[in-house]
Amino acid sequence: MTSTSETAIEVTDLWKAFPRYKPGIGSLKALFSFRYGQRPDRVWGLRDLSFTVSRGESVAVIGRNGSGKSTLLGILARVYLPTRGRVCVKGRIAPLLELGAGFHPELTGRENIVLNGAILGLSRKEIDAHMDDIIRFSELEEFIDTPIKTYSVGMQMRLGFAVAVQTKPDVLLVDEVLAVGDEAFQHKCYRQIERFQKEGRTILFVSHDLESVRRVAPRTIWIHRGVVQADGPTEEVVSAYHEQSLRDEEEATE
Amino acid sequence: MPTMLTDLRELYRYRDLLRVLVERDLKVRYKRSALGFLWSFINPLMQALVLTLVFKFVLKIQIPNYSAWVLAAILPWTFFQNSVLDAAQSILNHFTLLKKVYFPREIVPLSTVISNLIHLGLSFFVFLIYAWIIRIHIGPMILLLPILVLFHFLLNAGIALAVSAMNVYYEDVKFIVQVFVQLLFYVCPIIYPTSRIVAEGGDPFSPMSLLFLKLYLLNPMASLIFAYQKILLSRAAQLDPRPLDFGLLCITFLQCLLIAAWGYWFFNKRKWEFAERL
Repeated sequence: MTSTSETAIEVTDLWKAFPRYKPGIGSLKALFSFRYGQRPDRVWGLRDLSFTVSRGESVAVIGRNGSGKSTLLGILARVYLPTRGRVCVKGRIAPLLELGAGFHPELTGRENIVLNGAILGLSRKEIDAHMDDIIRFSELEEFIDTPIKTYSVGMQMRLGFAVAVQTKPDVLLVDEVLAVGDEAFQHKCYRQIERFQKEGRTILFVSHDLESVRRVAPRTIWIHRGVVQADGPTEEVVSAYHEQSLRDEEEATE
Repeated sequence: MPTMLTDLRELYRYRDLLRVLVERDLKVRYKRSALGFLWSFINPLMQALVLTLVFKFVLKIQIPNYSAWVLAAILPWTFFQNSVLDAAQSILNHFTLLKKVYFPREIVPLSTVISNLIHLGLSFFVFLIYAWIIRIHIGPMILLLPILVLFHFLLNAGIALAVSAMNVYYEDVKFIVQVFVQLLFYVCPIIYPTSRIVAEGGDPFSPMSLLFLKLYLLNPMASLIFAYQKILLSRAAQLDPRPLDFGLLCITFLQCLLIAAWGYWFFNKRKWEFAERL
């Protein structure tokens, strides 16, 4: 762990509401509405979240489906705007793109690296500078100039992971992607994540796989129905979450 | 206004992404076809050919140089039509990305308009060869072409931005636009020359006729196409003896600029809501 206490992510009193889905004419009215942003009918996805992540820290976010984990990641990635509150991220933040997003099957591996890098906000020059590292890490040297539609799922994963990690963002957002890929590649991903951590970079890791949470992150934030339920050492939070899940299951079966 | 400047600056910061997306469009569109980009020219050429044949042999209307004249209108028309229709679907086509990554959203519709702009440029080049083959002289007015294309681009971009944003909320927009584009085709001087826009009596230079033409050219698309025909073809190939009215063309340019600004404003006001709507 790095000793710097510089903050990488600061979330203060974050609230996020989504419009309740209404089929029909509603969306047309919303489009031309002059009272833009004043829709009373909404659902709160996140309610009053606050936490800070220091530079170099690795933090896991756990919670049941629909608890708001992905919404939180979306706001950090600046895909969604917060409804209330403040989010401050220092440095370049990059999501690990899931399979297929930001790739085009007809383009070659090399062309897709350029495309993916540009999507992540890098200039052409920066991408070219990282090109060799990315190709080496992906272990796709042989196939790098063939269209990726000929790649297997695992190969495409490798390419995506290579771009995200080798372009060295200050904060990496990982949303449940390491579960795919064979064991050897997973192993390599974990090794790369460790190296990433040693370089003093920050990782926010969302997963349902508690085993990988234990492996990657010393600290865990548990989100339940849009509220921070617990925030602390992974061992404690994960076992509390585990107990709660068992209890929920019992209640459901009764 | 200051927010629009901030948005433009951010767009400039992401110019490499815009370039990469345009390159992807160009590479992918004809990747598996033998003739490649020539299709961007063959398509309008075939349309022009069909129209010429219909006029000559079915309607038996003899118009000299009709094919070149129609082509000079159909190439910019294709640019307009493809820009707007491609853009309408563009945000929905990129929804997986929009849900994951931050980047200025306007890059998506703009990249479709720019790749169509490049196709226009390539097909103009082929047009010049065609004009040379059928012995149509190109006048010095052609030097004005870049300015005309620039404002035409602004018009397309403005409409593309607005339409792509609307289509996120209501997918009927795409179909409404298709119908609208079809109708617009007939209120532009593409299959008929502006010399038909005359008052009773048929004198193209009577005050009434000139007024009719002015009103007709208040439609920016009609005015642009009229200007393309005037600029691309020599005097001998013109079907309307009335000259290009530069005062009126300036009004058209102003319209293009306003539509571009409005489209950008309309898009930007909503662009951070797209990801929640998709």
